[in-house]
Amino acid sequence: MIAIDKINRAEALRYMGCNKSIDTKNIEPLLDKCEEELLTAIKPRYCYRIFDINIHKAHVDLKDCRLKPEGNDIVRHLSGCTAAVVMAATLSADTDRLINKYKVQDMTSAFILDCMASAAIEQVCDKAEREIAKAAEIKNMTWRFSPGYGDLPITIQKQLISTVNAERLIGLTVTDSNILIPRKSVTAIIGISQNNIPKGKRGCSLCSMAQTCQYRKRGDRCGY
Amino acid sequence: MDINTLLKKDHIILDGAMGTMLQSLGLEAGDIPELLSITEPDKIISIHKSYIDAGSNIIYANTFGANRYKLEGSGYDVSHVVKAAVRNAKKACEGTDTLTALDIGPIGQLLEPTGNLSFEKAYEIYKEIVEAGSDADIIVFETMTDLYEVKAGVLAARENSDKPIIVTMTFEENMRTFTGCSVASMAITLEGLGVSAIGVNCSLGPKELYPIIEEMSKWTELPLVIKPNAGLPDPITNKYNVSPTEFAEHIAKMNRFGIRFVGGCCGTNPEYIRQTVKALTGLKAVTVKNEIPSAVCSPVNTVTINMPRIIGERINPTGKKRFKEALKNRDIDYILGQATEQIQGGAEILDVNVGLPEIDEKEMMVTVIKAVQGVADVPLQIDSTIPEVLEAALRVYNGKPIVNSVNGEEESLDTVLPLVKKYGAAVIGLTLDKDGIPPRAEKRVEIAERIMKKALELGIPKRDIYIDCLTLTASAEQAAVTETLKAVETVKNKLGLHTVLGVSNISFGLPNRPLINSTFLTMALTKGLDLAIINPNTEAMTGAVRAYRLLANHDIDSAEFIEIYGGSSTNTVSDAIPTHTLEYAIEKGLKSEARAITSRLLETMSPMDVINHIVIPSLDKAGDEFETGKIFLPQLILSAGVAQEAFEVIKKEIASTDDNTISKGKIVIATVKGDVHDIGKNIVKVLLENYGYTVIDLGKDVDYETVVKAIKENDCRLVGLSALMTTTLGAMANTIKLIRENGLNCKIMVGGAVLTPDYAKSIGADYYSKDAKQSVDIAKEVLG
Repeated sequence: MIAIDKINRAEALRYMGCNKSIDTKNIEPLLDKCEEELLTAIKPRYCYRIFDINIHKAHVDLKDCRLKPEGNDIVRHLSGCTAAVVMAATLSADTDRLINKYKVQDMTSAFILDCMASAAIEQVCDKAEREIAKAAEIKNMTWRFSPGYGDLPITIQKQLISTVNAERLIGLTVTDSNILIPRKSVTAIIGISQNNIPKGKRGCSLCSMAQTCQYRKRGDRCGY
Repeated sequence: MDINTLLKKDHIILDGAMGTMLQSLGLEAGDIPELLSITEPDKIISIHKSYIDAGSNIIYANTFGANRYKLEGSGYDVSHVVKAAVRNAKKACEGTDTLTALDIGPIGQLLEPTGNLSFEKAYEIYKEIVEAGSDADIIVFETMTDLYEVKAGVLAARENSDKPIIVTMTFEENMRTFTGCSVASMAITLEGLGVSAIGVNCSLGPKELYPIIEEMSKWTELPLVIKPNAGLPDPITNKYNVSPTEFAEHIAKMNRFGIRFVGGCCGTNPEYIRQTVKALTGLKAVTVKNEIPSAVCSPVNTVTINMPRIIGERINPTGKKRFKEALKNRDIDYILGQATEQIQGGAEILDVNVGLPEIDEKEMMVTVIKAVQGVADVPLQIDSTIPEVLEAALRVYNGKPIVNSVNGEEESLDTVLPLVKKYGAAVIGLTLDKDGIPPRAEKRVEIAERIMKKALELGIPKRDIYIDCLTLTASAEQAAVTETLKAVETVKNKLGLHTVLGVSNISFGLPNRPLINSTFLTMALTKGLDLAIINPNTEAMTGAVRAYRLLANHDIDSAEFIEIYGGSSTNTVSDAIPTHTLEYAIEKGLKSEARAITSRLLETMSPMDVINHIVIPSLDKAGDEFETGKIFLPQLILSAGVAQEAFEVIKKEIASTDDNTISKGKIVIATVKGDVHDIGKNIVKVLLENYGYTVIDLGKDVDYETVVKAIKENDCRLVGLSALMTTTLGAMANTIKLIRENGLNCKIMVGGAVLTPDYAKSIGADYYSKDAKQSVDIAKEVLG
């Protein structure tokens, strides 16, 4: 378990489509109530393993591991790295239950909770990353690269989850169409390097949503 | 040797980890360990033998993950892998008294409603394993986290094998499983389902399991099982931190909680088992003498009948036009709204009755039970007069429900009670028989006694029998009221059974019904009523129960009462005179006022005028502000939610006056096959409904055929499809293709974050809707 005591409100509002010119006053009490309920419901957990890696032309080998991430983008992402963290994180099934309950009771709250939970899982991942770096004494890490980014196929989810034993350790599963359940969950691969890595972000070019992105349409970025 | 012979021993020794042993033999991360049963049988046999040598009385075959889902793509089928594993285990047991267990773990996908694996499919997956493993002596489910999945497994095992069943679940330090299941809920549900032993395995070391096993001992008379990890793993080295001797010491200390089956999970090896055998030598099995509480449960919530409890009666079509209409239109969300409203009102258990002659009650009951347990944490009471309906509901209920009801007639006793026993429910016994309701209390008590006797014969424990002494209407049979109360008192005190009453019937035909109801309720409570079936949305009724709980010293320190009534009184908003206009309430999102304002408007305006001149223009205004960026989505949905409240009042008014509907047309909507993202679709639904369209919401992960069928059946001229993933756009295209192939005269609108107008066109959609507001514009264009 990992503790989150506050939701990144600005980020959650951005997911909701809010911008600075909108007066949010009539909805603030609801936002507060949702945040409180969400923080009570979530039970954030993560698990990970670290593997030495061998980088090939179009795939990456993880030592003593069946997972073989393929594609140009993951190869580029891990170039210069000697090892990789494979991680999985989730906010828990209780979060799904809370949101599902509100889908019936009050759609406004359901939507707000959904966006807040999206912000929360990113906070959990950030925190988990720091804890992993500390525990494994890692100095240089890349950003989190997830299945579905660029040409890294989303179909590796099942194998990735089994690699880090995520079902047993944090209760994370995947559907036949490769959707993570509980819904507010993340899997990712992070490169470890002996050398300095420039602090990059995913950027739009690797994103499958680049053409339809609501943020880009209004001249914004999602931030990853 | 069989399990009953084994149970004569004080402790039955299980084995330790299989996975950990295999890893030390070079298994890679992500490998399927069950395949080694075929490729390396000798290694597996030798691991089994090392546990037998260490003292195991039961070894678990290497079948933990040998299910259809996990073996997919491995080149092997379930039958092959399971049979090989059981064969290896039996071979290792040759020449010893050790028994072989068919070891079954979680499928690896979460069941509905959190995941999308259906209960029925989970049953089939488990059935396949059980049948393949028929040579094993015992069936074990372990490392389970979802009570629903366990139930599917246990039913599959019981109905396809006669072997004893042991279940262990995995709890975290908060005493819950990953899916939120509590120790109490697990214990009372599984004891009801007739398993031989229950317990806990994995996730934590022995030290952390004390509180969990202690809690479990309070809720069951079954032998307990404990199979801890060798402490907690170091995330980097994956080494566990509890030594074999320390492990064994903890196990021995837990003997006082009544543990009978002991073994090890992750990180353990034969040495842990050897030390455990040593530590338990000379220790006698302990029988914990607790009185098991009378209780029912959902996975996350156990309701103990140790004080008067409130059963919500509103999920029932009797005398309710609006509810009947919802059943006929399959408006499941309306029913779910009734569920959450009652829970907010104070219901601790919900009665579910969907009996209506025009519909398929069995199918509807299953649908509603699944839907309600997806959003409500309270236990349910399954209410039907038809045994097949009861059984269908009992199968899919997740937890321990109440069956409503059996009565004193032979036929009822013979058909209903065996179901109650098989599925481990509690049951309401009505004190009536073929001669009707006896006028005198004594005769009703006699019937109660008859029901009790029959239930006890079948092995239903006394604590699970609740007697309904039946409320008659005071206006028709005034003298009968005291007979009912007398019967309640006698059943409670002489028979020692819990009592239940449907209260609202008492005032039928009288003025000021709430006053009569709450007075009668209080009278019954003082006579020993335990379960009050009432309308929990009526403040006077829930208030009477809460006040009684305070005065009878159940509500210790008046904590509950003060928490509910101590703050500022917001409970009367709906009765207050509204100070705002409906336009203002919709604009500002004042949901609690909308009902009262609308009711007042309907005194002077026609329903259609309220819709056309107030609700829709106000929504249009909010829609415009959303489009121009003055408000954002939550504010738009909030306004729509207020309009929805107004609509509910209007619909009720119309349902009570005539059968004319106010619908502007029907629209089918669905999130396509394979996709489970439904927030966007639900927002569209809220908006469309508030513009007066009837929305047939097929939900998420919807089959192509289901969409086509719904369009045909409802003669729809507009369908909305949603997809949120690039990987499920194909399913959207296929759905559209099937609609076109069927030659349906129906326009198709599509939406979802990954869609573009061009793509929408390329897959044959008529409209691309960029947001919920635009879907309303499209509906206006197509349907008017």
